[in-house]
Amino acid sequence: MQNGKAIRVEKLTKNFGEHLAVQGISFAVQQGEILSLLGPNGAGKSTTISMLAGLLAPTDGDAFVMGHSIRSDGAAAKKALGVVPQDLALYPDLSARENLTFWGKMYGLRGSALKQRVDETLQVIGLADRQKGRIDTFSGGMKRRVNIGVALLHKPQVVIMDEPTVGIDPQSRRHILDNVKDLNRQGMTVLYTTHYMEEAAELSNHIAIMDHGKVIAFGTHDELIKLVGEQARLELTLNVEANRVMDAWQHVEGVSRVTGSDGKLTVLADDSNRVLPRLFESATRAGGRITSVEIHEPNLEAVFLHLTGRALRD
Amino acid sequence: MRVIDLALKDLSQIIRDKKSALFLVIMPIVFTGFMGLALGRGTQTDSRLPLGFVTADASGILSQNLQSMLNESKTLRVVSATDETQAAEQVQQGTLAAALIVPANFSAGTLAGDTVNLKLIADVNTPGGATARQAVQAIVARVLSMAQVGKLSVEQINAVQPFSSDAARQTTMLNAIAEASHAWRDPQLTVTMEDAYAAKTSSAPSSFAQSSPGMMVMFAVFGLTTTAMLLVTERKTRTLQRMITTGMSRAEIIAGHVLAMFVVVFAQELLLVLVGQMVFGVNYAREPLAIALVMAALALWTASLGLLIGVLAKVEDQAAWWSRIAMFVFSALGGAWFPLEVTGQTFAMIGHLMPSAWAMDGFQNIVVRGLAFGSVLAPAGILLAYAAGFFGLAVWRFRFE
Repeated sequence: MQNGKAIRVEKLTKNFGEHLAVQGISFAVQQGEILSLLGPNGAGKSTTISMLAGLLAPTDGDAFVMGHSIRSDGAAAKKALGVVPQDLALYPDLSARENLTFWGKMYGLRGSALKQRVDETLQVIGLADRQKGRIDTFSGGMKRRVNIGVALLHKPQVVIMDEPTVGIDPQSRRHILDNVKDLNRQGMTVLYTTHYMEEAAELSNHIAIMDHGKVIAFGTHDELIKLVGEQARLELTLNVEANRVMDAWQHVEGVSRVTGSDGKLTVLADDSNRVLPRLFESATRAGGRITSVEIHEPNLEAVFLHLTGRALRD
Repeated sequence: MRVIDLALKDLSQIIRDKKSALFLVIMPIVFTGFMGLALGRGTQTDSRLPLGFVTADASGILSQNLQSMLNESKTLRVVSATDETQAAEQVQQGTLAAALIVPANFSAGTLAGDTVNLKLIADVNTPGGATARQAVQAIVARVLSMAQVGKLSVEQINAVQPFSSDAARQTTMLNAIAEASHAWRDPQLTVTMEDAYAAKTSSAPSSFAQSSPGMMVMFAVFGLTTTAMLLVTERKTRTLQRMITTGMSRAEIIAGHVLAMFVVVFAQELLLVLVGQMVFGVNYAREPLAIALVMAALALWTASLGLLIGVLAKVEDQAAWWSRIAMFVFSALGGAWFPLEVTGQTFAMIGHLMPSAWAMDGFQNIVVRGLAFGSVLAPAGILLAYAAGFFGLAVWRFRFE
């Protein structure tokens, strides 16, 4: 199957009149992995996903889902896909079970197979005990879970999730993220869009950072962090004068720089987990004691800031 | 199969909506009764088509039979006119559906074997004019056949035993015509004909024969509020978009929604026809196939109109308002509230730009004018043409967002 690629995007372009929403992007999602499209609102993530899902026709370029072109073999591509739209696409006056049953029929399921898949999906999304409740009586998080469940009914090989955790409570968010990881563990390929860097960092095997319709960086989380070369920044407070430990700390393995005065020091290090115990030990030997520690790990926010000069949530 | 599943889902949503019962069932029945009583009390109108009758052969046997049969018509109501000019003016003004001019030598000339032409003044482009011509032609054909019977009888008898005098010949002729006339009025064998006037009584139809189909047409259009809003809500909740991601084609989605709308309107019509027949005494059952054809055509037209409104409306309020406006325009101008025949030719012509007027014609050709199956073909065809037009527009304008 095209060398293990579940999705292959080639120079995909979408223009809305003069507005270039997606500008010839290319990337691939390997089978069985989670790839996150990370970027601020308006970066072109949803437009990219809409093209993959068959909702928008590309202006140029093509994409392949399990080897099927979205332009010339759209029906087969759709069959391999489950799509979780950003907006809740459910019937509020029908129950969770009725919604799942209806959408199962739309995916071509019938009879006992349909009933079995609806039961299984209700278990997966954790709403088996609320299956008879009308959607309009559900909390935002429960609605989101049903919204995801619909896309899983026909056991697709690839699931596209467009910002599935927008506007929900932390508990439901946790449930959804755990669901995504579970599905991936079962072998499902996931293309996930988000503007929450924490979600992209937690879930993804690969991350494509998008901005202004372009993929501006692509790689694993660690590769992207290394791309900007930022080190962890440790802010430490001591109960003694800083200059009593500064010299010693300059020579601790893994520390690249120590600055500070009075009882406060800033240490730049490659790996805070390995360096921190050594700093404690060195401070003790110098007759001092560390009274507080703040660790600022390098993150995708910093990567985006480095690449665009703007914050991710701007 | 997915088309049917989609239609069933729509129907399930409509049935659950408590407002549906009010607008699709209760209000139409109540209004049918109310309008029927109001029309009956207020006007006591004879809804048969007014036919001007001018004869210069008042004493002629055929002319007398012609007038007598016209008087008994369930479709036509004979109105005396002084002369041809006045009758023509009245037809032009729309106060008469048609006028029949009988020349002085009609009876004598016809019985002598001459060709004597009757003159019918009518605008056959109007449904009233076309229906009147159809009805007059049927009656004239009967009268001419009576004349033929009279002539043949006289010839047969004369061949066996020649008449002793002209008076005897004349008496035999009149008797034969009288026998033929009697046979027409009380036939031993009846067959269903397009222009059969099989009514047992000549009394005017009840006012419910106006209100029942009228309210059926009105509430079929009003029912679009529910169905059009389904489509608007589906677009708003993004379920329409999601359907595309399941691999459903645009044609399947449109067909599913239209099927649901068709079933809703047809079921409503069926209920109103049953109530009209059993409660209000409107005789839909005399031509069930014809009624079913008009119902189906009306349901298809309103379903396609509902689809168009659902496609064009951006929000629920728009769908509701446009459906209401459609209801008032199509009902008022289409003759659902009062017969177009009483409004004059100009208004009737404008009214027939509305599909609803053709639906009313179709129903009333059966329940008021007593016509047969063939009389609904043109109205049903025109309704279907409107349905195709609205459907094409809706498909053209269909958007998922």
